[in-house]
Amino acid sequence: MIKAANINITRRGVLAGAGALGLASLIYSTKRSQAAGSVLRVRSYGDIQTLDPAFRLAAPEGDITNVIFAGLVVATPGDSWGWKPMAVEKIEQLDPLTIAFKLRDNIGFTDGFGQMTAEDVKFSIERLADPANKSPYAGDWATLKEVEVKDKLSGIIHLNKAFAPLWTSTLPTPSSTILSKRAVTEAGGKLGVKPVAQSGPYLLKEWTPKQRTVLVRNPDWKYEQGGYDEIHVHPIEDEKTAELGYEAGDLDYTWTSVSSIKRLKETPPADTVVVEKPSLAFVWLGMNQIAAPFDNPDLRRAVQYGVDRKAVVDAAYFGAAATSTGIIAPGLIGHREKNLFEYDPDKARELVNKAGASGVTVTLDILNKAERLSAAQVVQANLQDIGINVEIKQNDSGTFWTLGSKQNPYYKKLQMVLSRFSMQPDPSWATEWYTTSQIGEWNWEQFSSAEFDKLVTEGKIELDPAKRDVMYKKMQDLMEESGCYVFLTHEVTGVMYRKSVAAGLKPNGEPCFADFKPA
Amino acid sequence: MSEQALIERQPRERIGKAGRVLRRILREPLGAFGLTLVVIVVLSALFADVLTSYPPTKLAPAERFAPASLQHLLGTDHLGRDLFSRVLHGGRIALAIALGATGLSLIGGIVLGLIAGYGPRWLDNLMLLLFDAIKSFPTVMLALTLVTLTGPSLLAVLIVVVLVNVPGYARIIRTQTLVLKSAEHVMAARSMGASTARILTVHILPNVIGPILILASMDIPVVVAIEAGLSFLGLGVRPPLPSWGAILNDGFVNIRDSYWIVVAGGLPIILTTLGFTFLGETLRDVFDPRLKRRE
Repeated sequence: MIKAANINITRRGVLAGAGALGLASLIYSTKRSQAAGSVLRVRSYGDIQTLDPAFRLAAPEGDITNVIFAGLVVATPGDSWGWKPMAVEKIEQLDPLTIAFKLRDNIGFTDGFGQMTAEDVKFSIERLADPANKSPYAGDWATLKEVEVKDKLSGIIHLNKAFAPLWTSTLPTPSSTILSKRAVTEAGGKLGVKPVAQSGPYLLKEWTPKQRTVLVRNPDWKYEQGGYDEIHVHPIEDEKTAELGYEAGDLDYTWTSVSSIKRLKETPPADTVVVEKPSLAFVWLGMNQIAAPFDNPDLRRAVQYGVDRKAVVDAAYFGAAATSTGIIAPGLIGHREKNLFEYDPDKARELVNKAGASGVTVTLDILNKAERLSAAQVVQANLQDIGINVEIKQNDSGTFWTLGSKQNPYYKKLQMVLSRFSMQPDPSWATEWYTTSQIGEWNWEQFSSAEFDKLVTEGKIELDPAKRDVMYKKMQDLMEESGCYVFLTHEVTGVMYRKSVAAGLKPNGEPCFADFKPA
Repeated sequence: MSEQALIERQPRERIGKAGRVLRRILREPLGAFGLTLVVIVVLSALFADVLTSYPPTKLAPAERFAPASLQHLLGTDHLGRDLFSRVLHGGRIALAIALGATGLSLIGGIVLGLIAGYGPRWLDNLMLLLFDAIKSFPTVMLALTLVTLTGPSLLAVLIVVVLVNVPGYARIIRTQTLVLKSAEHVMAARSMGASTARILTVHILPNVIGPILILASMDIPVVVAIEAGLSFLGLGVRPPLPSWGAILNDGFVNIRDSYWIVVAGGLPIILTTLGFTFLGETLRDVFDPRLKRRE
């Protein structure tokens, strides 16, 4: 025991003091974090690989660019598809070929790039539409003539032809994002992963690859404020892993795997809302028609007959999702009632023998996710039954999403792929990726049809829904007749979030980060 | 004693020595436990086809997540596959990789170690540099890099393990070869005109191989863990081949639906690791009793 200035310091006293101090700091930090109440931890299914909206690779990048860069308009959360102004004070369609806009007066770019002007709008939209820039999203502005600058904040978007998906899958998407002309020019014409000239309600403060992206409230954003001071976006590829992370308390919002929806709805984690949303996305099995042995049309047809789609979907999603009849979901213009080629293993075997391919081995590339692996293993069993051996190759998202890219020599060798695309509420968004010009971008099957390409162009400028319906059904027929595709499912979307969160979700369950608020 | 009698006596002596080692292993509780586990694992892998009638890759989605029963001793997984069958057949793959890779590593390590230890100084230095360079890579990172470059497969796992293990074995052999290089019996053999190959194989190798065999037996669980780890990450054995790591991953992602898949995948890894570790440690004590006395 030490006595100093009438204070007795004992071992027990020191321990008690340390304990009290620890408890106090714990209470303080808990209170502080509750008082702040302002960090939202969300899961996305992939990490960012670019922040350039014109060259985005997957939806998670769009979710982030949608809040760090202001677009002309932005999608609204809710049960029906809609949009609200973001960078614009006013936007209206004067006639089918003319859209007038006026920007809000005080939207600034960070890093000293000044105020957002109509000149930036012209630059951003024309840059994305210009075929010379080779943006995979150029089709979103397929009929753009020009953007006319009227004054500092006003302008007119002129179209060559009426454009059916303008207000559904072009304007309320990252394709209407306005970038700083000066910043992009100084960056060499293309943005990478370094955030410059941000302008949205949040700013990207920190990006740790494969770990998290931290978004913080933009103090200069004067309009509708995000509900949280910070949003931490955690890239977790596999939904089942994300579910475990959520249940461990590491996340406030995540998509669930389709196969877990039933269980989670029956026994949700504590203080959790579990929601099932219809999905517009589409999952398919693709065959690259220039890569042997799938350069033989008989073998492609054999696979179409040989895959029991219901068994694949039931096994992967535990019966929670239905099989699909194409790439356009029920409820949208162009949805087909049935497939052209249904499961018929006897016919499949005949075709395999006709192609002289019995015993052939092919590689099936998939994303390293539990449901994809399950689906792939059923495909593998189905095809083994008709004499085709399948080797499953699992890829992480960084590798997977570049497999069909021209920059990757593998795009010519890729044989078979199990893939999923997210979707906007217009059929043109689905067909866009299978044109000849998308070979080496998103058309990994290298499907090429002049008739299809023509219909894609015409489908965008046709405003009569009945005529569009016929056109989009025909496009899916052409895809299936090529033998390159086995349409599997549109899935459903399972979402869960804490009861303390009012989640801002689009009708298909995709997040609008800026619309998440504390409940 | 005639030459014929000598020839007949040698196998009996060998059996006698093996029997003595076995008796000493069985006298040690941990050694007996380890040996029992190893025998169970090896026999169940060898006789997997006899012990279960279910093919390990046969899908039966209608029977997914069935609990353990007389029909399915360990239940079924998310695709309705019989877990008992997958565990037994997974054991074959694990042991094949572990024994195959360790055997190849031993051969590589012995050859390179003998060359480094007996060869000229410059070659020794060069090979040491090479061993240390390979050793300096973290095992998991090296494995992930190689598998990413070559694609996931059994062969890739085998290459990873051999690459990781060879330098360690080679270093031990090299050190002992350096010591024996100037031993009297080696000098004598050399002065009598024995070739380098004969000196290495007849006079040096038998005297340096003992410790490395014990080390190799203790490395087997490490190899099992590497294979399981890579397969857990989807970078090892390709589906639908059963692997303990892949079963563990199936269990991990479906743990809320059924806990027994994790148990079925994890238990054999634990038991095999324990078995080979205990057996290896006991063997070490048997062959080097000084070590045990020191402990």
